[in-house]
Amino acid sequence: MLRRTTLKFTAAIAAVSLLPSGAFAQMPASVDKPVTISFYNYNLASASAGAEATKELIAGFEKKFPNIKIETVAVPSNEIMSRVQADIVAGKQPDVAQLVFRDLIYIASDLGANALEDMVDATELKDQFAGMIPQGLELGKVDGKTYGLAYTFSTPILFYNADLFKQAGLDPDKPPRTWDEVNADGKAIKEKTGKNGFFPGAYGPTDGTFVYQSIVMSNGGKVRDGNKLTFADKDAADAVKMLRNMVDSGAHAKIDPASASDTFAAGNMGMFLYTSALLSSVKKSAAGKFDLRLAPMPSFGDKPTAPTNSGSALFVFSRDPEKQRASYELLKYLTSKEAYTIITSKIGYLPLRLDIVDDPNYLGPWVKENPMFRANLKQLDHLTANIAFPGPNYRQVEKMMMDSVREAVFGSGDPVEALKAAQEQGQDLMP
Amino acid sequence: MTDIQAEVAGPAAAKTASTRSDISRERFSISPLLYLAPAVVLLMVWTYIPLAEAFRLSFYQWNILPTSPQRFVGLTNYQRLLALPEMRNALWNTLYYTIGLFPMSVIIPLFVAIWTQDLGGRARTIYRAMIFVPMIIAPVVAAILWRWLLNEDQGLITLTLEGLGLGRIGFLTDPAYALPTLTWITGWKLIGFSTLLFSAANAGINPSYIEAARIDGASRWRIICDIRLPLLSPTILLLSMMTVLFGAQWSFAYINVLTNGGPLKSTTNIFYLLWEYGFQTLSAGWSSAAGMIAFAGFAVLAALCMWLTKRFAFYDN
Repeated sequence: MLRRTTLKFTAAIAAVSLLPSGAFAQMPASVDKPVTISFYNYNLASASAGAEATKELIAGFEKKFPNIKIETVAVPSNEIMSRVQADIVAGKQPDVAQLVFRDLIYIASDLGANALEDMVDATELKDQFAGMIPQGLELGKVDGKTYGLAYTFSTPILFYNADLFKQAGLDPDKPPRTWDEVNADGKAIKEKTGKNGFFPGAYGPTDGTFVYQSIVMSNGGKVRDGNKLTFADKDAADAVKMLRNMVDSGAHAKIDPASASDTFAAGNMGMFLYTSALLSSVKKSAAGKFDLRLAPMPSFGDKPTAPTNSGSALFVFSRDPEKQRASYELLKYLTSKEAYTIITSKIGYLPLRLDIVDDPNYLGPWVKENPMFRANLKQLDHLTANIAFPGPNYRQVEKMMMDSVREAVFGSGDPVEALKAAQEQGQDLMP
Repeated sequence: MTDIQAEVAGPAAAKTASTRSDISRERFSISPLLYLAPAVVLLMVWTYIPLAEAFRLSFYQWNILPTSPQRFVGLTNYQRLLALPEMRNALWNTLYYTIGLFPMSVIIPLFVAIWTQDLGGRARTIYRAMIFVPMIIAPVVAAILWRWLLNEDQGLITLTLEGLGLGRIGFLTDPAYALPTLTWITGWKLIGFSTLLFSAANAGINPSYIEAARIDGASRWRIICDIRLPLLSPTILLLSMMTVLFGAQWSFAYINVLTNGGPLKSTTNIFYLLWEYGFQTLSAGWSSAAGMIAFAGFAVLAALCMWLTKRFAFYDN
């Protein structure tokens, strides 16, 4: 069989190239020769502010390091993992890739990303990490090693349309703080204005699981505990039941989950819980049309909220020491104070370095102009890591979970039963 | 066609009977094999080897990464798939797409082709061009246009319906409407293609039959029933077969762009499901097993369609 032999051959080559980086020479201290590295990036594939800001960052980097040329590969966020995997299979190893946290364990264990601790000198790494928020650094770690360096990341935040609040007879200066209030306000907006009340960006094809997980964790639930799935257990299921009740009461909209952000941006939705990365583009569409405001994510009564991180980390896959150095320089540049000033002000992601927030040389003037962004910054101190699934079938398990959540929230059957059935099926596929 | 077959088969059969010794003398000639080789190689590389490979992979658990091991799991993939409610659901939906497409891929085009036949020169061209336009629009562009038209908040169609007092319909967000909507979009795209084929076949009918029928005093309707429809039967059967075998596949682009199989799995079909298993959840085993199930089902259908075609198609000798 021709095909099988080819596969085996590719497998052998890939296996050799995926040996732990420790087997290779240590990367040099600087880049002396011209080198080209590839950078897989999903912000570049978006039509919103992300692409412009990323181009600006890369131009800045190439100016600072004339020896290094970046070859960018733009792929939408929900396809970038498959693309990286396909390219590795085809023998086109990416050097640096921006990937989302849900694939973290798989990237570290199967895809052969380099741990920064193995690649970079310990003191140099320590200098780089200084000033970064520890919760942020924690996000990209597997078994104590940093495989992904948190890059563009964010927490869910409640965008709301103050004009609709006014029309519904609600006080726009008092956004809902608990889910009960979201329910009441959403119902009022739906009934008085005919527009959609509330919708979370938790069910669409590009949404991943972070908004859903942060709602679950705010109620004390968790999607898995070790290798045991727990998303149908009481606290987690109660959170989903709360969403279902809002659907039944009319406060939670029933719209196409793939275009929820468009619906909000068009002024047809009162409240939208989603990543702050959308801020720039929503602000642009809201300008002159409606009064856009932000609030922290709502809580379950007095329980503390658990905003989880959306967004991405940077992973290095290079095998060649020269390219590793160039890749690491790119990582350093993209997580520098200058870079986060651009990333936060132009896209809306959180800065991994908090010391720049009030610094007049960096984000200071922008935060002063955009005080509403503080709601997002405030959530940083209880940032909770998004939980990735382990094992070779992690994607299927995750899909089963999200399918059952959609069924529980929008279906007609018993929500807890839907979650339970999926949990049982999914458990079979866990390692 | 039967005549042609007879002509080809006749002498050849006679030859095999009478000159068996000639053939055994020529047995070692390599040139026929060389002529066949390019086609056979292409067929092997693009069809049969992948098919065999998919069959093999359907018994393994593997995440499409060359470095990770392929673990033999026997029939587990099939068992799991058949136990999953979404698989049954997808099979039902596949059937729905197939049957739902018939009116738009066979019945309406047939009528349009026959009625436009009698239109005058330029009017006929313009009319047919209009019907053919959806065919040449890229599927993704068509899908996005429909998304705009059907948008619940500001879609042109939704607003019109509301203006008529019918209320807003969530064409793509209500599980009860999503499947018919996607079937309609797929069919709308096909009408042009089918009409073109029917018009071509219709134009190929010898006009002297119709002249003769007219002289005999046959009405328009009689001519259609007794002359046009029987002579169009090969095309009707061909398009029916294509709809049965490929109809559900044609809807893939619209499912992918418009609903991602939702809301609540109401629009997923078997092709979308196997793509999802393979490239969204990176499970080669599940995807191959789903593919094999689809392959077996459609092989049976194809055989049935071939039999029907042989039985009912009427050719003008």
